[in-house]
Amino acid sequence: MPDVWIAGAGMTRFGKREENLPDLVAEAARAALAAARLEAPDLVVVAAMNPEEFIGEGNFASQIATHLGFAHVPALRVETATSSGAAAVYTAFAVVAAGLSRSVLVVGGEKMTHLPTPRVSEIIGRSIDRDERAYGATMPALAGLITRVLLAKTGVTLKEISQVSVKNHAHGALNPYAHFQEPVTLAAVMESRIVADPLRLYHCCPISDGAAALVLSADRTPVRIAGIGHGTDTLAVRYRDSLVSFRATQDAARAAYRMAGFGPERVEVAEVHDAFSPFELIALEDLGLVPAGKAGAATLRGETALEGRLPVNPSGGLKARGHPLAATGIAQIVELVWQLLGQAHGRQVAARVGLAHSIGGLATNNWVTLLERVS
Amino acid sequence: MSEKIPAARCPRCGRVVAPPTRFCPDHPVALEPASIDGYGEVVSFTTLHSPPEGFRSPLHIALVALDDGARLFCHGAGTRGIRVGSRVAVEAVDAVYYFSHLGLVERARLFWRRAGARGETVTSIAKSAAKRLWRGGRGAGA
Ligand SMILES: [Zn+2]
Repeated sequence: MPDVWIAGAGMTRFGKREENLPDLVAEAARAALAAARLEAPDLVVVAAMNPEEFIGEGNFASQIATHLGFAHVPALRVETATSSGAAAVYTAFAVVAAGLSRSVLVVGGEKMTHLPTPRVSEIIGRSIDRDERAYGATMPALAGLITRVLLAKTGVTLKEISQVSVKNHAHGALNPYAHFQEPVTLAAVMESRIVADPLRLYHCCPISDGAAALVLSADRTPVRIAGIGHGTDTLAVRYRDSLVSFRATQDAARAAYRMAGFGPERVEVAEVHDAFSPFELIALEDLGLVPAGKAGAATLRGETALEGRLPVNPSGGLKARGHPLAATGIAQIVELVWQLLGQAHGRQVAARVGLAHSIGGLATNNWVTLLERVS
Repeated sequence: MSEKIPAARCPRCGRVVAPPTRFCPDHPVALEPASIDGYGEVVSFTTLHSPPEGFRSPLHIALVALDDGARLFCHGAGTRGIRVGSRVAVEAVDAVYYFSHLGLVERARLFWRRAGARGETVTSIAKSAAKRLWRGGRGAGA
């Protein structure tokens, strides 16, 4: 299989934005194309989770292509709930690796903050099994159930979970693209309002607007996609035997490491899907980055902080950078590209290999992408 | 009486799902109808203070692993005394499943039912025993 390279990366600032979604997408796309010194790609892959519901728009790939001045460029949309961005990267990777296109623009975004929070939760919650939704199961409710089991069965503590939020806010404070650019204290996290007992408000990512983009290329650049893997699980959470690990992450990681020809020991920086802070601890163990049962303690010791052994979510993660759904899986890779190229000003870590981990739905459709700087 | 929960079983892997579905989530195999007992163990539970539209606050949700294998989402009147691993009974009220802690009454009923005694008689005996305990002020905290 021929190598696939990243030629350009760009994103908008995440947060509450006044611009409409096509303009946000265009801002990110133009930044990535400029970085790649490319006027027009061979293909546009668009990621958007719920543009029909959030902004009342359909046929979104054609709309974006025309808006970008690429009406003549083939465009398609990819959707796997909250991992849509990562799925779009996978699609573009496959197209370039197959030799069908030499350059692909991948761009994803979401516009959500103009709607009331209950409406946003309801729209996102449609990615949950119908029989579980019928009992009031929302994403925070399912995350609350998972957190309860983590606390009861694994020895993870609420303090360790809360430290994930503290760390990611500290990182976000250094990232001009982040939704939240202020640190929070451990006490503030642990005393924040209960959302889904025992899960509290500061354990949950915000509702954000934003977009992110990449240009993938068959032509050599300094950053290679070394591996990419996809893992799945049942839509219904009640069909799963374990709530303290995600099979979809484990399978995606296995596939990505196999393609790359190396394992977690070479990963030096990671962007993981901390939509809820306990998910970061689950991810670190599912990805093999931290031994089983050790993620909480490693976090408390600072191993996953910017200056630690393995910086995790140097961008601030979903918690602080924000989570405009379909933008997130792409923004994680944008951050890794900047980190590997030494362009993550103010929050730079030393790394040659980075890992991005994206969760779709309640871990029904997950992706792991490995990037490597090749000198 | 013991609540029977409509479910379905995979003839290939033995997985039991509730409510019943046509196909196993892991195999493209048609499931066989099953009916399972409404007793099980709390896998996890949570309380929402800002539940979605159409639900009363606070909303207590539990995931219960029934003894016959299926797991169910349920509502409950409260979570006092409930822990991960607590024994609960699951009953349908207007097609919605509710969990309740298996207290003295239910445990006695379950014991006698399994021992082959007539459930209704045992229930009334157990209920009056429980009432005596309550009047004596020793029922709370059980
Ligand atoms: Zn089966």
